[in-house]
Amino acid sequence: MIDAQLTRRGFLADTARLGTASWLALNIPWLTALAGCARDDARAGFVALTPAEAKTMRAFAARIIPSDDRMPGADEAGAVYFVDRAFAMPVFAESVTGLRAGLADLDARARAAGAADFAALPSRHQVNIMREVEREPFFEAARTLVVIGTFADPSHGGNKHGAGWTLLGLEHRPSYSAPYGWYDAHADVDSSKRVA
Amino acid sequence: MNQRKFGERDSVDFVIVGSGASGGVLAKELASEAFDVVVLEAGPWQEANQFTHDELAVERENAMLNLAFEPVQTIRGSEAEPKRPNTGRGLTYRRGVGGSSVHFAANYWRFRPIDFKERSKWGPISGTGFADWPITYEELEPYYTKVDWEIGVSGAPGPSDPPRSRPYPLPPVPNKSSGAVLERGARALGLHAQAAPLAILSRQYDGRSPCLACGHCSYYGCEFGAKSSTLATVIPKAVATGRCEVRAECTVSRVETNASGRATGVLYWDREGKERRQQARAVIVAANGAETTRLLLLSASPAFPQGLANSSGNVGRYIMFNGHAGVFGRFEHPLNEYKGPVATRVVHDFYDADPKRGFYGGGGIDARFNYQPIGFALGVLPDDVPTWGPEYKRALADYFTHSVRFYAHLTSLPVATNTVTLDDDHRDRWGRPGLCLTYADHPDDTKAKHWFRDRAEELMTAAGASRVWAQPVLPIDGGVQLLGTARMGDDPRDSVVDRYHRAHDVPNLFICDGSSFVTSGRGQPTMTIQALAYRAAEHIARFARSDQI
Repeated sequence: MIDAQLTRRGFLADTARLGTASWLALNIPWLTALAGCARDDARAGFVALTPAEAKTMRAFAARIIPSDDRMPGADEAGAVYFVDRAFAMPVFAESVTGLRAGLADLDARARAAGAADFAALPSRHQVNIMREVEREPFFEAARTLVVIGTFADPSHGGNKHGAGWTLLGLEHRPSYSAPYGWYDAHADVDSSKRVA
Repeated sequence: MNQRKFGERDSVDFVIVGSGASGGVLAKELASEAFDVVVLEAGPWQEANQFTHDELAVERENAMLNLAFEPVQTIRGSEAEPKRPNTGRGLTYRRGVGGSSVHFAANYWRFRPIDFKERSKWGPISGTGFADWPITYEELEPYYTKVDWEIGVSGAPGPSDPPRSRPYPLPPVPNKSSGAVLERGARALGLHAQAAPLAILSRQYDGRSPCLACGHCSYYGCEFGAKSSTLATVIPKAVATGRCEVRAECTVSRVETNASGRATGVLYWDREGKERRQQARAVIVAANGAETTRLLLLSASPAFPQGLANSSGNVGRYIMFNGHAGVFGRFEHPLNEYKGPVATRVVHDFYDADPKRGFYGGGGIDARFNYQPIGFALGVLPDDVPTWGPEYKRALADYFTHSVRFYAHLTSLPVATNTVTLDDDHRDRWGRPGLCLTYADHPDDTKAKHWFRDRAEELMTAAGASRVWAQPVLPIDGGVQLLGTARMGDDPRDSVVDRYHRAHDVPNLFICDGSSFVTSGRGQPTMTIQALAYRAAEHIARFARSDQI
């Protein structure tokens, strides 16, 4: 039967870690609405995010799943484009306020540190600011959107060219054939006899 | 799909509410016996080419469940507590032709002889309605075999399997790495990992494609028709008889009864929202343990003030979900569990309850890692892995392909105070009351979850995992297995239907789905739901032919 891990009312029911993200749990309907939104792949500009917000969100995303020279991160995946779409949903309007305030707060903290904005800070200073706010509801909500934007089907705006799947090591083909992994490829002869 | 259309004034032999695991089988069997059948299904008729692998749509937005018009479900731990919105799992089922057989993982364990007579063997359990079934494994075995061959089940016998009258029609699907490491652990501990029976085709069968190992069984519809849902198997055959009409997007509001206490048909809203009536010689309710409850309770009348078929008061009572407990492991080499069906091996050495454990409970442990990328990235990594930054990224890249979960599927006890009831405070688009779940785990069920989690952890360690971490044991707040809410029994004071699924209170009303269960089994109830449906269909046809409905 269906796995008990899967919940239909949100991200959150099964694991203790996600249980803390109740702020987002209360804002699930926007995800439902998102299913019906247009899924064009246009990457020209942002629909809902202001240029400043997009810049900050992009920098934030790059600290959640950082880029490096080996594997793509949230930035290569274009997670910010997914976040932009999420912001554009009317049903998300109530939550957008909190996210916008959170992004503005990141910029304000950066300015207090002498930078033009959050994106202008060196990454280690960005990390320090994010540590200051990582217990706030904004942080978990924004982090969750970045993760979804990195791994959701590219038709939702992020996971550009399957960058998130590349990071995971997922081949993303419509079908596969055995052997699937190292252990079934190297199974003992006697265990295969057992089920013959 | 081209199908027979019955007119509005036509009275048919049977109207069946629900087209899922049970309703689909009943429709095909009764139509094949030359009875006229109308099936009413609340959800849409989606075909395989409408299903998708889009995780955000399916798992996060519930695209498969067609929830659009469902009211808020509520939950409470006891009647003394206020109802609160159930933000957890809730009563989970799919609306749509084929029901939840479309998007389930298709594990097809049979029950065993002990499941039907466990109360006699174990004795009473305080605070429960623990009871024997009025039927035995031996009576049901021919119908289990019928399920195997009619819909296509892949598998191979295991060392402690119940007797079977015919081999599996199909060999097991190829083993996965999860199954290979479970075998390793089991061998090291002197246990047995056997091929997990699946309602998924390992080879072409009955004109259907074999499994292409796309890795999207659990929660997804099969685009290849390789999963043996009723949508892919019996429903097209029912329609092809020319005696069965499946009406999708039709929500039944009420089973109607006459002055002599017989069912006359049902009232329903069609897809345009128009109220319609379908008359029938007999009504069969196969809407699942939650919706069957709602329909029976909403069909109250002066003659049936507590709800239809509810003189015992047991409609909605004794709901069981099956407990679960899981342990994760990370291995040195890739397992790539995102490929293939959910689980290919299961350990059944702990199936029977054992007084030495100090509690009642038994189950099976399978191996799986059925997480798609978003669900994995948001909820699976060990607690000491940061949730953002370079270490998080390294863990994402490592654990997705290298992890597995050993997952226990367990008994749940039938507790009289665990109920599904109508919730007048929340209503659906039709104004019907929603559903409230009142539920608290029996102490033995909680002990079983902890005990089995420990066994899963031992297996994982013995299998050679380089890192082992456990899922928290949490109280049940809903589930996909909706069992026991219209239980079967010989005594009308204590059960809703008799051994042939006939309502004790209404001679031409039959109720056949997970609600008929007396005990929960060890998880994976769909095989038994379908065996019951094949058996019920045979008896119902017999009654109909001999004017006993």
